[in-house]
Amino acid sequence: MRKRAAAAAATASLSVLAIGWLVGTPAIASLQDTLGGTATDATVSAAASAPVASTPAAAATATATAAPAATATPTPTVTPAAAGITGTFTGSVVATRFGNMQVSVTLADGTITDVTALQLTDKDSRSVQISNRAAPVLKAEVLKAQSAAVANVSGATYTTQGYLTSLQAALDAAGF
Amino acid sequence: MSLDTRARQHNAPPRIHPNYPRRMRLADSLQILAVVSVALVVAVFLADGGAARISTPADAITALGIVTGLVGTDLLLVMMLLAARLPAIDRAFGHDSAMALHQSLGKPALYLILAHAVLLTIGYALVQPAGFFDEVWIMFSSLPDMPLAFLGVGLLIAVVITSLVIVRHKFRYEVWHLVHLLSYVAVLVAIPHQLSVGTLFREGSLQRYYWLALYAGVAGSIILFRFIVPIVRSLRARLTVVGVDQEARGVVSIRLSGRQLRSLKAKSGQFFIWRFWTPGLWWQAHPFSLSAAPTHNSLRITVRGLGDASSALPRVPVGTRVSFEGPYGLFTDFARTSPRIVLIAAGIGVAPIRSLLETATFAPGQATVLLRSSTVDDTYLVDELAALCRARGAELRIIAGKRAPGTSSWLPGDAVQARITLATLVPKLREADVYICGPRKWTDEVVRDARSAGLPTRQIHFERFDW
Repeated sequence: MRKRAAAAAATASLSVLAIGWLVGTPAIASLQDTLGGTATDATVSAAASAPVASTPAAAATATATAAPAATATPTPTVTPAAAGITGTFTGSVVATRFGNMQVSVTLADGTITDVTALQLTDKDSRSVQISNRAAPVLKAEVLKAQSAAVANVSGATYTTQGYLTSLQAALDAAGF
Repeated sequence: MSLDTRARQHNAPPRIHPNYPRRMRLADSLQILAVVSVALVVAVFLADGGAARISTPADAITALGIVTGLVGTDLLLVMMLLAARLPAIDRAFGHDSAMALHQSLGKPALYLILAHAVLLTIGYALVQPAGFFDEVWIMFSSLPDMPLAFLGVGLLIAVVITSLVIVRHKFRYEVWHLVHLLSYVAVLVAIPHQLSVGTLFREGSLQRYYWLALYAGVAGSIILFRFIVPIVRSLRARLTVVGVDQEARGVVSIRLSGRQLRSLKAKSGQFFIWRFWTPGLWWQAHPFSLSAAPTHNSLRITVRGLGDASSALPRVPVGTRVSFEGPYGLFTDFARTSPRIVLIAAGIGVAPIRSLLETATFAPGQATVLLRSSTVDDTYLVDELAALCRARGAELRIIAGKRAPGTSSWLPGDAVQARITLATLVPKLREADVYICGPRKWTDEVVRDARSAGLPTRQIHFERFDW
């Protein structure tokens, strides 16, 4: 490599790196602003950011209240269990590398009407950022698919897995 | 008046061939592009707030792991481009130098990819927390696309190990080549985990499109220049063997005839990778240099029975169809920088030297041909060389004699003792381009002699004919 080329390559590379750094810095600053600088707030802000009307039933002590028809008379006809289940069911806590995950699901007459994130990955600011981005996407996907069988949100693998595992547990509890 | 002119000619610095600055500008641009591509992936990482994530030692290790993966993958893509026979790369560096660079990047790329795997495992294990090998298992079993990524690393290790010089010569070329093709698989199977596990290339992000465009560009280049162009050229040229001439024991010249060969823009001194479509030979492709200047309807190569394929070539029947990749190489008049020319050949290396002598630009008295051999008898194409030298006014010297054991000189033992070097053999060497073709070790020794005679790199051109 000739000296002139090496100098040009070094200059160009340093410029590119500097631009990358400059673009990256504001993102960091804004992230720290939204988080208020404390890690303990992360769980709260993460749960609160999920746009759901939190009902008392959605708390950790939520009980499964299935429709009487479904539990009382287990008829052997097609999809008896799914028909008419109503209530809010809480999934198990799923531990991931970046923190615990837990969701609750609201069913109305056998239809998934809402998914609430009770706990999202909160190991560090980055995890919170990723979870907050992924949770609404996952919720929309679940409501559309009406099951926990939805695609991975790329870049949020742990969130996706924890979210869907907890959701499946909730659905299992509901007998959905 | 005439005396003045001569004096000025003597003192004038060698005239730089107009191609050289242009070629160097192209080489510079390509090198800058390659370096910047590395900087760019690191910049993409920084722009995504990559440096912001670093608050604990585990974060730092994870970030470093991501950067090594990005840079290592970028180097792998650069390597694949270097081997993709891109016309611009061949014109700027020549096939030989491009492949040498490709080879020298192999180990650094592998080390970066290994560092990527190890650092990320450590970084994740610290957060989990888990032991290193537990973490490897967690990654393997619970992350999407990770088994494929592990496979990619394994293949990459196999490819690099089989390409180490010591190991490589234990294999047949075809076996080595087959293993080497696995590097394409290694690069492909690594893509899914980059898109699904990594957060950098998440769906809908700008960097995801850049990354995918990079892959598409490399894949497109490989498909176009390694497959489509050679196939189209071979079909259009319709080359067939029209004659096989015995030059010496085990050495033949194969004459080929075809159509529209001008469009190949082949030059004397270049080589093609040939495939002879006979039952025993069709599955092997081998590089051979042109031993005569190409014409609009004919090509000629001269081959010695070195490998198992070339030993069968003397019996290749007339009428055999021939397909090819090429022409490749900068061992041509295009690379000239100086008015004089020195052509040095050993063994079958005489083939490209013979074609260069036919068409290289020089005035009578400005060219020297040095033919090196153990005995006067094992030189090839000598009659043709002598006739061409007479016709064009070049000096031909045959230097025969065994090398002294234990010495590292390209010249015979007695010549070394008499302190003969390239500089004493060739008058006005500093005003000449030196072209060297012979076995690898011998070539290196001639190059060293030329360097110690004060010849700059741009005036030394060489081609090695072993793989």
